[in-house]
Amino acid sequence: MVYPPFSPFSLEYPPLITLSQLVLEVISEDRLLALRKRAELDSKYVLFLNHSELPLSLPRIASAFSELALAYYREEARRIKSRIEKRSSTSLDLIVRYCFKVAVYAEFRRDWGEALKFYEDAYHSLHEMIGTSTRLPAIQRLVEIKTIAELLHFKISTLLLHGGKLTEAVIWFHQHKSSYDKVVGSTEYIFLHWEWMSRQFLVFAELLEASSATVQSFSSLNQGTAQIPLTEFEFYPAYYYQLAAHYLQNKKSALELLVSMSVAAQEIDGSSESITPSVYVGQFSQLREKGEALTLHFITDEEYIRYAISEAKRFQDSFEIVAWLKKSYESFTNLKSRRMAAFCAFEIAREYFGLSDPSNAKFFFDITVNLYRQEGWVSLLWEVLGYLRECSRNLGAFKDFVELSLEMVALPVTSCDDFGNLRDKTYGPGGPATVSRRESIHREVFTLFCRETELISSTEESGFKFAIDSPLHLEIDLVSPLRPVLLASVAFHEQMIKPRSLCSITLSLLSHLPLPVEIDHLEVQFNQSTCNFVVRNSQKPLVASPSSTVQSGSQEENEPSLVLVPNNWLRLTYAIKPEKSGKLECLSVLAKLGTRFTISSRAESPAAMEDSPVWKHENYVQSLPTKDPILAVFGQKATQVEEPEPQVDVSLGASGPALVGENFTMPIVVTSKGHAVYSGELKINLVDVGGGGLFSPREAEPFSLESHHVEICGIDGAEGNDESESETGNIKKIQQSFGLVSVPNLKEGESWSCKLEIKWHRAKPVMLFVSLGYLPQGSEANAQKVHIHKSLQIEGKMPLVINNRFMLPYRRDHLLLNRIKPAPDSEDISSLPLNEKSVLVVSAKNCTEIALKLMCMSIELDDEQGKTSCLIQQGGGGGETSGSANLAPGEEFKSNTVSVLPKSEHVLSYKLVPLTCGQQQLPKITLTSVRYSAEFQPSTIASSVFVFPSAPQANSTAK
Amino acid sequence: MIVCVAVVGHQNNPLYIQSFTEADDALKLHHIVHCSLDVIDERVNNPSKSGTTLNEAFLGLLYPALNYKVYGYLTNTKVKFIMVTTDLDVRDTDVRSFFRKFHAAYVDAVSNPFHVPGKKITSRTFSESVTNIVRSYSFN
Repeated sequence: MVYPPFSPFSLEYPPLITLSQLVLEVISEDRLLALRKRAELDSKYVLFLNHSELPLSLPRIASAFSELALAYYREEARRIKSRIEKRSSTSLDLIVRYCFKVAVYAEFRRDWGEALKFYEDAYHSLHEMIGTSTRLPAIQRLVEIKTIAELLHFKISTLLLHGGKLTEAVIWFHQHKSSYDKVVGSTEYIFLHWEWMSRQFLVFAELLEASSATVQSFSSLNQGTAQIPLTEFEFYPAYYYQLAAHYLQNKKSALELLVSMSVAAQEIDGSSESITPSVYVGQFSQLREKGEALTLHFITDEEYIRYAISEAKRFQDSFEIVAWLKKSYESFTNLKSRRMAAFCAFEIAREYFGLSDPSNAKFFFDITVNLYRQEGWVSLLWEVLGYLRECSRNLGAFKDFVELSLEMVALPVTSCDDFGNLRDKTYGPGGPATVSRRESIHREVFTLFCRETELISSTEESGFKFAIDSPLHLEIDLVSPLRPVLLASVAFHEQMIKPRSLCSITLSLLSHLPLPVEIDHLEVQFNQSTCNFVVRNSQKPLVASPSSTVQSGSQEENEPSLVLVPNNWLRLTYAIKPEKSGKLECLSVLAKLGTRFTISSRAESPAAMEDSPVWKHENYVQSLPTKDPILAVFGQKATQVEEPEPQVDVSLGASGPALVGENFTMPIVVTSKGHAVYSGELKINLVDVGGGGLFSPREAEPFSLESHHVEICGIDGAEGNDESESETGNIKKIQQSFGLVSVPNLKEGESWSCKLEIKWHRAKPVMLFVSLGYLPQGSEANAQKVHIHKSLQIEGKMPLVINNRFMLPYRRDHLLLNRIKPAPDSEDISSLPLNEKSVLVVSAKNCTEIALKLMCMSIELDDEQGKTSCLIQQGGGGGETSGSANLAPGEEFKSNTVSVLPKSEHVLSYKLVPLTCGQQQLPKITLTSVRYSAEFQPSTIASSVFVFPSAPQANSTAK
Repeated sequence: MIVCVAVVGHQNNPLYIQSFTEADDALKLHHIVHCSLDVIDERVNNPSKSGTTLNEAFLGLLYPALNYKVYGYLTNTKVKFIMVTTDLDVRDTDVRSFFRKFHAAYVDAVSNPFHVPGKKITSRTFSESVTNIVRSYSFN
């Protein structure tokens, strides 16, 4: 078989001959050699194939082919290059052609560098043709150049992107765009230029998206060169998609303008049918019948334009625009470029709006509007709201229409300029953002729902043919964009109020609407519906409108006029009388405007009020919601209604300290002084004053009774017997520090008492809280409990402090230092002499403020030699009460001080032994009463005695 | 030619925006200024990625939008200045000096004891001085 590599056959490119292995069996090798020489064939171009091993042989054929092909391409390229270098042709179009050819051959050879170089050469040469070429009629000439430029640009971009040269590709696109940006051609048919521009951006966006190079972060690249700085967006396909859509929009509007202005719109369609793209890139020709033969003819520019317009009209540009913008929107959303995404959404929505697709338009406008609301871009917000308003009008959504209109009207648009000379198309359907436009929308909306019933039939011009006589209710909460329409600030004058007594409340309303609004009546709603009240405008006729929030017969106020002046607080102060105790909070303020329109605005505390995002940054004079500046800063919309004054007395009968170990009895008396007591409950709580709980953490076992230092042992009811307890369930619950007792029903004037037993295990001050909750009026469903709280601090004290010490015997041994000094660690063990009697002094001191009766004291020895215990009785006591001793406060048992209780007597006796004779002084005795700070001092005579020398006798006197 | 300048607050809210074109493209310029805030966010949040130094107030070219170029500047108090120009070949030094003068005018305006920080700038003097600065710059 003989494969001629290229036709026509030439010896310059030798044929490739493959011979079957079988040939060798027929022809001898010598003969084959002779044949080959005769044909002047190189041996490498003669291949022998074994048909049984064809798969193995194929690669050999392939490599032979590619080698030949490469040689051919190289040779061809060299040949054409020499033509370029020789400048044999001065014609630029030929040079473009040659460069293109060389580049294509280089691409075939995978020589990317050379391909790029020659494509660029072709591109630059082509650009030079713009002003010089005269080959075709003007319009078609430019079309051809631009089409070829597009092709070359595509080639160059692809090569750059495939080579991973992202930055270079972007810079190249920049240059491409800027070189052809101004090459508009005929301004009359500018749509051709826009279409071409749009295609450039689209193609580059698609290339960028498809290129794996985009995966690498643009940040790692050096951002352009010093001459052409590049920015983040220029590496995103989304940026190019968006601009492609933008240019296509330009093309669309230019085309629409052209078609609308074209007088002979019909004739365009007729004669353009036979025009087709020519075999040459960027050229068009007409197919004409000449007899039976079809011939191609060049066409005039006029014919071309007719053809181009009819072609352009066939395409639905809007769908393309929406599709590209959606791509861009999604991409920007993923990149977290919210504002770019919002702008794309806006453009999409505008396109849908142009296509009369209000529901899709509304969807995308809503995306945009939220961002502009948040960031307070009023001019942009105004425009979007204008579109949205028209969408809702087209959709027949009356409520949306009113809401959007009110939102627009309440925007801080303060521009007074009326750009009347500008064409309408520069604004959206909302019109220019001016005060006068705000006012006109305001009037439009308010006439729509405030007009009288007989005029309803003529509302068709507004676009709403139905449902206009049904009531319209708008809810405004704290995050609603309608907040500037009606801002309700409510402040109670008092933080705590008494039930059934009047309290003042200031209601302040603010509206940012441009014109004054007259309110028919206001309804103020509270969480206690009995407090709800109505404020009526005296100038408006009283309409008995059924209200769901305000009951008939509730409070009504009348105001001479209720007019909301723009940006001024309407301050109203009223007195209300709350019935129930607890929290009283104003929930909302409902304004009725006209017969069918109501706005309910959530009440806000002046203290927590913030401006809405669009008004927050406005530089306007702000007044306070209330006249009282303190109320304006700290005022609250809620207040606390106190409970009715309790007319029952709870008294805690005992006071004074309790002693550790004692069963301390605390009588609690509940006395009715005007209120009957129904379903009364007494709650008792013991709380550690010092904090830290009533049990020490060391012993913190939850179920151990002993862990509590102070505990409630029991509560005895007034009846005190077990029977009544079990019948009425008197003691409901007793824990160590908590008790709950039910109080029987008491009529007026009656009283009930119980006794509380508390036991202290440790000396500790404790707070006793007793609270009584009761119903004053029987068991009504809506009755509220009245509470009385009493508290008492009780000190728990150790009654006695016991001390003991041994009377050490007189020192008899030598003063040996080492024996005198006791070792530091042995101080608590005092050494006692063996086999001698030692005196142990035990003292018990009363540290309380009341007298104690000491019954007995016992000493227990913890000894190895068996337990010896002894009972001690007061030694020098009066002896009236045997075995017991009274201990006054602060008194110490077996001490030098003696206390005498009232109505008792104490005899102090002592013996004296005179040693010399003569006038002698008796021991001086002074009596001091601590309590009454009285002192008794006996006279000198009474305290001296004469001792006779002879008779050794003495008398003792004492008082 | 500078076609638009804007001062944008902390919450990306416009504090001052003024366009200097006879044509009716004020809204388009507002859109461009608003979109450029995305680039500023990106540059401020990833200063190392975008290669801007921390202490540099001038943010450079934010992005080319259609026939405009958008430049940004961020003050120490995180107030953003944005400038939109139709000039295509602009030297950074010129833009820097423009922003420096603009910043000085802004400082003068907010130093007014009657100006409430964070509110829109409505001072007529500021508007005049900005107009004068803009007029004095033609980058080409």
